Amino acid sequence: MPFGPALVGVEARGASTLSSVGILEYRGVTKRFGQYTALADVSLEVVPGEVFGLLGPNGAGKTTLIRIGLDILRADEGEVSLFGAPPSQASLDRTAYLPEERGVYRRAKVRELLAYLGKLKGLGRAAAAKASSDWLERVGLSRVADHRVESLSKGMTQKVQIAACLMSDPELCVLDEPFSGLDPVNVALVTDLIQQRRANGLTTVLSTHMMHQVEALCDRVALVHQGHLVVYGQLDEIRRRYSPNEVIVWTAMDLSAFGVNATQHKTGGWRVELPASETAAGYLNELVRNGVSIDRYEPLVARMDDIFVSLVSGGR
Amino acid sequence: MRPKRIAAVARFEFLAVVKRWSYLIATFGLPLFLAAVSGTVLGVQTYFLTQRAAESSAFGLVDEASVVDRSVFEERDGEQVWGNQVSDVLLYEDQEAATRDLESGRLRALYVVDKDYLRSGEVRAIQSEKTPLLSMRGTNVEPLLRSLLRKSLLDGRLEEDVQERVISPALFVRARLGPDGVEVTDVDEALDLLMRTTIPLFLGVLLLTALLSASGYLVQTVATDKESKIVEVLLSSVTPEEILAGKLFGLGAAGLVQFAAWTSMVIFVALSASAALASVVTVPWLALAVSPLLFVLGYLFLGSLMLATAALGANAAESQKLTMGWAMLAILPLMVLVILLEDPNGILGQAMTWIPFTSPLTVIIRLSVEPSGVAWWEVSGAIVVLIISTWAAIRVGARLFRVGFLLTGSRPSLAELWRQSR
Repeated sequence: MPFGPALVGVEARGASTLSSVGILEYRGVTKRFGQYTALADVSLEVVPGEVFGLLGPNGAGKTTLIRIGLDILRADEGEVSLFGAPPSQASLDRTAYLPEERGVYRRAKVRELLAYLGKLKGLGRAAAAKASSDWLERVGLSRVADHRVESLSKGMTQKVQIAACLMSDPELCVLDEPFSGLDPVNVALVTDLIQQRRANGLTTVLSTHMMHQVEALCDRVALVHQGHLVVYGQLDEIRRRYSPNEVIVWTAMDLSAFGVNATQHKTGGWRVELPASETAAGYLNELVRNGVSIDRYEPLVARMDDIFVSLVSGGR
Repeated sequence: MRPKRIAAVARFEFLAVVKRWSYLIATFGLPLFLAAVSGTVLGVQTYFLTQRAAESSAFGLVDEASVVDRSVFEERDGEQVWGNQVSDVLLYEDQEAATRDLESGRLRALYVVDKDYLRSGEVRAIQSEKTPLLSMRGTNVEPLLRSLLRKSLLDGRLEEDVQERVISPALFVRARLGPDGVEVTDVDEALDLLMRTTIPLFLGVLLLTALLSASGYLVQTVATDKESKIVEVLLSSVTPEEILAGKLFGLGAAGLVQFAAWTSMVIFVALSASAALASVVTVPWLALAVSPLLFVLGYLFLGSLMLATAALGANAAESQKLTMGWAMLAILPLMVLVILLEDPNGILGQAMTWIPFTSPLTVIIRLSVEPSGVAWWEVSGAIVVLIISTWAAIRVGARLFRVGFLLTGSRPSLAELWRQSR
């Protein structure tokens, strides 16, 4: 089943149902740069304790949205609230940001840089020094603590930046492409750090193009395209909503013998397209009633990759 | 603004600069280098002068016209010698003997008072190939010989005191009118002028260099922040105003340390020169006393403008170009230095005292050259103007800095800058 712009209307419902518990809320935010509209009437919220995926193609307006949320840029129209109030220095101290275009002081020593960035977040000298050591340990960089940043590899530098972002245990952390440049081991490390944050009740906004990470980590997502919010809501719900009405059935029996119009799926099961009126649960009952011996049964759920590509290319 | 965050930025920026080799060399290496060069030059000169002093310093005199007063000569080892602090003049009755001594190198030069001297005034100066034609000693001995001839010619023909005045008609005693009356000094005019201009020039150049150097660090650090893309990380933690203040204070402290090191060198050189030249060098204590305050105010004023302007540049080269105009305004007093040294309290000096771009350097130069001509209210007024200008520059600078610091692409229009700076 193809995805198309017609589905956008469904998401408008999600955008209009803001609750009052949002840790970061945008209401009707519009931002223009000269004649160019970077964001148009965007409303969404990030709730405490979740991992929120901010998705969109390059130039969609994600970074602008983040910058406005962190008071780095000001919106032309609309309102932003951070921890229930307009962004302030106090609320910004409870947040941390890893920008996509991240930079470091390359001539500084790793430990000094972390301590400095910790102090800018309000940590005292001793606390910043301790947090630096602890986080270097956590990301496996203790042995290079006294090296200059310029002597580190790209991946190591990236981990320093992630440590700098997380070292103050911010209640809200915005990570823009945290996995880029990392090898699989370090991707797993960062994934683990994000999951630990969720387990500790801390909120993370994750902006990434790695859709399998979105599927693995995010509770809710928003997809921004050409400055507009086109998808917003629970990840599972969105995937279901965009999924075809199909199931995969793993069975040793020949389904065609039961009159089922099935095709072979790459996983070895049978892919069955259901009538529009049929549900996956109802169809499973029907198969069982007809005496089909089923090893495994799964509704076919759309991958975020497919949803992303379909929505973005559909908008072009 | 939060003082702790400002202090964190200031400390980081200060340490980042003072740990650089270029800073350490400029701050401590430059005075040492200048001291080493000066010491070497003086040492070499002293060595050669000593060597020359060890050589023959005798000059011969043959009086063919018999006009020289013999009474000034004294007999020493069978020779008639007229000695002074610089050299000895040996009187020869026989030119052949004198020529032999010149050939042997015993004499540096031979002066022969011609037979027809009274008519022609001719005195031949003969030098051998061993002695340079225009040696310093040769030029020193000739005025002495002139005095000897004058004295010999006048002897017995005038009263002694008149005779003395003909020989030496005027002994100039230099004096300068100070604020409390007449102050008599025995300073040689050329040396006095040299010292009066060198110290202010030195102090002024150092103040300007330290100002531009510290401002240069500001431009560099903003460009580095923008180029390294760390701007957003900083801005998610601290405000642009806190970054601006932290950078100003941190790099200002580095600049102040540099200026203090250089000023110490000026004081050291002035005191050493005073000791060496029998206390003729006046250390401009008043100028030195106000210079740290003028440095700090001048730096904060110029620095905040430079920081704001530098933030508008996309990279280091562009930032430097944008800030060049401020630097040109600051060096204006050096461009008109000749006028300021000649007439420090003239209309130009007075006018530039009140312009915040030029006042630190102008006040330092005026206080160094002629402190008595600078009224206290002028210095106080200049400081007040600087404080007000600095306050305004920091306010406008911080707003422009915010606009510029966030820019990663195009430069804002003038209308946008104006809107932001109001």
